[in-house]
Parts: sequence; C-alpha cells; structure tokens
Amino acid sequence: MKLSDKLEILADAAKYDASCASSGAPKRASDGNDGGIGATTGMGICHSYTPDGRCVSLLKILLTNFCVYDCQYCVNRRTSNVPRARFSVAEVVKLTHDFYLRNYIDGLFLSSGIIQSSDYTMEQLVAVARTLREVHHFKGYIHLKTIPDADPLLIAEAGRYADRLSVNIELPTHDSVTRLAPEKNVHTIKLAMGSIRRKLDEKAEEPKGPSFAPAGQSTQMIVGADASDDQTILNTAETLYGSYKLKRVYYSAFSPIPQSPDSVPLAPPPLLREHRLYQADFLLRGYGFTAGELMPAAGNLALDVDPKLAWALANREHFPMDLNRADAEMIARVPGIGLRNAKRIVDLRRLRRVRWEDLSRLRCSMKKIAPFVVTADYKPAQGLASSDLLRRHLGAPQEQMNLWPELKAA
Amino acid sequence: MNAAAAVAMVAAGQPLVVSSFLEWRAVARELLVHDVAPELVTWNQVGVLDADLFSGAPDSAPSVDNVPAGLTPTKPAPHIPRALMDMLQSAACCRVPDRWAFLYRVIWRWQHGEHDVQSPADADGARLHAMVKAVRREEHDMHAYIRFRERPIEAGPPQFAAWFEPRHDVLPQVAEHFKHRMGGVTWMIGTPEASVMWDGASLHHTGPLMSSAADLDDAGEALWLTYYRSIFNPARVNAQLMQSHIPSRFWKNLPEGAIVPAMVSNAELGARSTGQAQAVGRKSGATIPIAPADAQPERQQPSKLDECRRCDLWQYATQAVGGEGPKKAQIMLVGEQPGDQEDLAGKAFIGPAGKLLDRVFEAAGLERREIYLTNAVKHFKWEPRGKRRLHKTPAQREVEACHYWLDKELASVKPKVIVALGATALKSVIGNGNAKLGESLGKAIRHEDRWVVTVYHPSYILRVPDEEAKHQAFKVMVDGLKLAQSLLERPPEEPPA
Repeated sequence: MKLSDKLEILADAAKYDASCASSGAPKRASDGNDGGIGATTGMGICHSYTPDGRCVSLLKILLTNFCVYDCQYCVNRRTSNVPRARFSVAEVVKLTHDFYLRNYIDGLFLSSGIIQSSDYTMEQLVAVARTLREVHHFKGYIHLKTIPDADPLLIAEAGRYADRLSVNIELPTHDSVTRLAPEKNVHTIKLAMGSIRRKLDEKAEEPKGPSFAPAGQSTQMIVGADASDDQTILNTAETLYGSYKLKRVYYSAFSPIPQSPDSVPLAPPPLLREHRLYQADFLLRGYGFTAGELMPAAGNLALDVDPKLAWALANREHFPMDLNRADAEMIARVPGIGLRNAKRIVDLRRLRRVRWEDLSRLRCSMKKIAPFVVTADYKPAQGLASSDLLRRHLGAPQEQMNLWPELKAA
Repeated sequence: MNAAAAVAMVAAGQPLVVSSFLEWRAVARELLVHDVAPELVTWNQVGVLDADLFSGAPDSAPSVDNVPAGLTPTKPAPHIPRALMDMLQSAACCRVPDRWAFLYRVIWRWQHGEHDVQSPADADGARLHAMVKAVRREEHDMHAYIRFRERPIEAGPPQFAAWFEPRHDVLPQVAEHFKHRMGGVTWMIGTPEASVMWDGASLHHTGPLMSSAADLDDAGEALWLTYYRSIFNPARVNAQLMQSHIPSRFWKNLPEGAIVPAMVSNAELGARSTGQAQAVGRKSGATIPIAPADAQPERQQPSKLDECRRCDLWQYATQAVGGEGPKKAQIMLVGEQPGDQEDLAGKAFIGPAGKLLDRVFEAAGLERREIYLTNAVKHFKWEPRGKRRLHKTPAQREVEACHYWLDKELASVKPKVIVALGATALKSVIGNGNAKLGESLGKAIRHEDRWVVTVYHPSYILRVPDEEAKHQAFKVMVDGLKLAQSLLERPPEEPPA
C-alpha cells in the first residue's frame, strides 16, 4: 500500500480524538549540531484549521487501525467494515519530519488500535517516539496515547520521550464503559492515570531526574454516545482533574460512524452541548467553580446561555457586584469579565476608581455585564430585573420548534 | 539619525527621521531629558515620504553645537520600567503612520507621572495594548501560516523557501523562531519588503528577493493535502468557525486553501451524516476476525474489595485500599480511610500521615512490619478544592457499609489488641456511631474479647497548628502504642493499670 493511502486511512481513523494541543512543553531549540530539527516555545501553535473549525497543530494519526477491541462508538472496532492499514515506525518518522520542515505541524500525536496485546501496542508507540528523539534528535512536540493495560514500565518509558501522555476515560460512567467498550475497564484506566500522576509527582519532587511528560496528561470523554447527562460528565471531569492532576479533559461530541451498531445513536453530533461543556470545564479549571456550583441538579447545561451567565442568573445574591470593592476572584465570576480583565480591573483600582468607560476600553462584553456590575459612575437599572427577564434579554434568541426533527437530523 | 541633535532639530522645526526602535529610543531619551512636549515634535519613518507635506527633508541637520539657548537638560534621565519598554518595542513594529509620535506621547506621559498610560483602560494605553497585540498576533500568524516548499537538490541551498506577506515589521523576530526550529536545514523567507536566509549557521537579512510564492512542485504538499482532507470531520462541518480562526488574507498562500471550498460543499451536500472521509468510505473494508473471548486483554482479576459497591465512594476513588501486614498479627491498627497518596498507590499509610506513624512506631519501640495496618473505610472520600483533593470525613453510613470488610479482616487476623486511630476508627471498631474520642483517648477498653486502645489519628498531629499540642498528641500516640504492646502480655481478665 502506498504511503498516501495509509495516511488517508490512518488520519481518518484518528480524527475522533479531539485533542490537538501542543502547549506546555519546555522550551527547546535545535542548534543544528546534533543534526536534529525542531523547537518548542511552550505556547503551542495551530498551523491550520479544517472546515470543521478544529485546529491542526499535530500530525494526528494512528499507527494502525487494526484493532481487536469492539468499542461500539469507534469506527475502528473489530466488527467495523473499514479499510485497514498499518504504518511502519520509519514511515511515521518520515511523515513527521517532512511535515514539520514544511511548517505544517508542531509535532506528532500518535495513537493506535490494539493489536496482539496492550504491551505490544504500547511498545510500538514508544518505538516511534524513541526513534524520533534518539535517532533523529527531533525536538518538536510528541503526544502519545497510552494504552491503559500496558506495563507501567512501558508507560514510564513513553513519558521519557513524550511531552504529553493521555489515557482516554472514553465515557462518563463505569456502566457505559462496561456496556459500550467491553474490552476496556475503568478500573485499569484510572490505575494508568494514577501511575502517570505518581511519575509526574516524582519528577516535580526531583526536578533533576529524567524527563517525564513535561506537558502533563490529558484524557477524552465522548459526549452523546450514551445517556449520561452533563452533571454526570462534569462530576467525572472534576474527579479526574482532582485525582490525576490532568491538564485537560477533552469532550468529543459523538459523530455517527459508518455502519453504526444499534447500541449508539445515529443523531448528528451535539456540537452546542460539547461547546457548553468546554465552557464549563474552563470555569472548573481556571475560575475556581466546582461542578456542583455549575450543575447543582441532574440534567444538561443550558443551551441558550453560557454556564457562567447561567450561574450568575441562579445566584443573584452576589450581584450587582461593586468592581471597586470585590476581589479579583469574585470579579472573574461576573458574566462578560474574564480572568485577565479581572486582574486588570484590580490593577487599575490601585491607580484610581474604576468607571464604566474603563470596562468598555477593556473590551468587556458591555451588554452582558450591564445588569451585574456597579462602578464609580454606574449602577444598573436592571439590577432588580428578574432572572427570567435577563435570561430572555441576554440569551440566544428562541428558535422555532422544528416540526420534522427526523428530517433535519438525516 | 544623531540623537544628540534631536533637540536642536525640533527647535528648528525639522522633523525627526528614525528607522528603528533603538534609534527612536535614543532620540526619545534625549527629548525627555530636555522636557520637549510631544506636540512640538514631528516624527517621520524612514522610507515614508510626504508623511508631512510641509516638511521637506532638511538640507543639513543642525549639529549638536548649535542647540539654541534655553534647551539645556531640565529633567533627570528617564527610568522606564522593563515591561513598558518591552511593550513599546513591540508596538514599534506596528505599521501605523504615527508610530514614533505615539510612542513618544506614551513615554512622555509616563515620565510626567501618568502611570495609567500603561493600562488598557486608558485611551493611549488601550491603543498601545492594541498595537502590541496586533504585532504579537502577526508574529504568531507568521509562525503558524508560513509554508515552506522544498527546492530541488540541484538548485542548491536553501533547501526550503517560503513566501509571506506580513502586515507588520515582524520578519527579524520571526526569523529567530525558524532558526531554532529548522536546526541545520537551510531556508529562506521572502516578503514584499525584505528577505531572510538561514545557511545552517547564521541568518542573512537582505532586501526583497522574491515577489511572490515560489512556484515549486513539492511532493510533500500532496501528502499534506491528503492528511488535511482525511483529518477533517464532515459531520462537524463549520466553515464559519474555520474562517474566524484564519483571516482570509492568509488562505491564498496556504496549499490547503485551494481544496477547502470543495470540502465544504461536499460536506454540506450530504457527506456530513458520518465523520468518515469520502475517499476512505470508497475503499473496501475488513472486519477483524477474532472471537470476543480472545480479544479480552489479560488483566488481574479485580479483587472482591475493588468491586465493592456497598456505598458510592468507589466512583470517586482510584482503587480500594485493603489492610496489610502479617496474617496473624497480634496488633491491628485501624485508621480512618486512605488518603490521596494511598488511593494512587493502593497501599495503606504511605502518605504524610503514614510517615508520621512511622515516627510514632519508632518512638514506641515497635516494628511496622509486625503490625497489621488497615482503615475503617477502604475508599478515599474527598472533595475538590482547586486542583487538589481535600480529605473529607466519611459519613456514618459509609463507615457502616465498610464494616463488612473490617469484620472479615478481624476474623482472619484475630488480633489481640486493636489500636483505633481517631474517632472514625473508634466508632467503627466498637460499632457505636455515638462513641466520643475524648472519652476513650489513651485508654484500653474491652470489646468482644479484645482490647481496644484509642489514640489520635496521625493526621490530627499534622493538622493541629500549635507546637505544644502537636507534641502532646504525639505523646498520646506513643503511650497508646506502648499500652497496646503491654496488653499483649496481660491476661484478658486483668484490667489495665
């Protein structure tokens, strides 16, 4: 099979992994002395975007899409009638190198179907990373998918070469994994995440020790393949962040696959729901919100308003908030004011009182903040308006009910 | 230009012509020292003619010597903070006609105590921030959207060439980025204003050498387009989102730009129902003939304890942590529950509390390996606090649910003495949810044919802030363990001293 045919198949097979981040690696540069190429700036660069609006930062491919597992939501499951291919180690190295020199990518994100055994598959992934790093002195970004049942020694070796490791939790609940991914096991997935975290902790305690996944670990959860609600999803995310110090949880709206089994839906991907989950996740990671604050009851995040606005509307006792008095952490909870602007407002306060016009220059979303803030020269007239009224005013316009949802879904 | 002559030129009504940030900085310092107000200065960019129609280029610049009277230095040398200087330097790359005049206005205001000029909430500050952002954005876009094409070997170096049309003056700093990225591989980048070449050892900056993208037939580009088509998920087509990420001026120089319209219209015509690329769907497929039983990975059978669902704690924990120690130990130590470290490692008392416990053992003259160590609750209960897991005391129903496992351990190990660490352990061991730590602390009580000695939990010592109280609690623990040991020698009917 030609290299381009393999690439066609194995990139198609890899697209369902949402992560393409190349940030968080330590700064590295090539001076040309070792014959190597590649650099990392710590920031990560998106080199392109595809028409689905997703960024292309890494060459994201599977080493092979032969797979003995039968995960119902996966296009590469053993019972799926997809074309199959397998790269050699040398082919992946060459593709990475060639793409990198043309400035198409920041590095490699390599995953694989499970062939023979977990250990064998993991060994193959590690071999690619080892060859890139030790033979070709490649200093670009490497993200390796970790096979949860692989020997911890292999995971440790993967961490020596990779900037980031990830183990997919796959689905939000134990029961869903048991039902839809019969060969996977939440217990061993958590153990693998735990062993990576312990390695990361060890490295933090001994900074001079050998390198271990300096960009940390991440995971991915599929949204919409099972019936789990957003409360369950955010609780699972919170559990994973707390337990394994993940850098990111990625939410991947389930995309229907060819010859879909009956166990998973045929509906189009729930993209707005996925978007709301990312927004909520951002609030968990950066803003000090807890899952319980964002989703106090069972159900899904609101689609008409973003999660921060929804929280503010449900917690009016904090508002309107006097920006000349509140601390930065609370200011960042105002809908329309982000972390950076919260800090800028507090910085400005040291020089003088904050006025309405300042917020406009800081490019806050003025319509959104209007009912929630008090400044030296502004008090909201809407301060006492009901949350329902504000929601209608600030939320997305109501859509007419669709009479034939089946047609729209088809 | 000569910075020293700047003041005289301003006095003579002549424009100041600068070509670089360093030059501007030297001139600006000189003007600040002489307290020359921004309104008095006209700045011209080198190469920008007729910036001011009424100020022709001067025939000869006034020399330093004929500084008019009254223009002696009146201000101390300016101290501009590094952060502001960095911003000014970035903003200087922004192609706006009045860039030098604006930067001088900012620095002049700062020098006159208007420090909010650095804040984005100030009108000038907002513009300064916007200029810096535009420049950084341009650098970033150039890092991202330059596309190198490989030149044929017979053409000689550089091996790779790229064409880019930057909106601001960012080529020099972008060249540094690619120098580090490409290692020993040679390349050049052409822009309408200038070019830069990397020969593998040093950078060479020159005037414009190219006038458009190099027309090279690069086989690598076909593979990239294959990848680009395949990594796209047509079920998620959202061309608007893509356009919002990459401004339209970049698309014409991106090889993938040419295939986007067809991909979008195909996806919108029906391919969007599944995520698979069309070309892959046309190839013949194959299922993997393997029996479900053979596909199951080999893994250790999870223990009964790990499969325990008597309460909900398992959902938030990594694993259950069972007891550990000699099968027939005479002393069993019962703690509360595993902590963060224990949860990850699957072993009891290995975290900070475990380390403290080791010190207690040592002080009491006991060997850890002779004692059976376990917990009243086998899964870690916690609540999120920022990015950490904060220990949370288990509820009585969880303690009761987990008693099943403690009973099993007691039945199998048959210890003569149980040491209960803290209130939760005490409640569990004597089966009384109302038991109070204070009433039993340091004492031995008889319970179901065994001695139960109650001491503090080591976490209490770690938590209590007062040194004296720490010391006291440590002593209670040591004494308790000594008491436990002495009870081994004592017949059960004899009450402890």
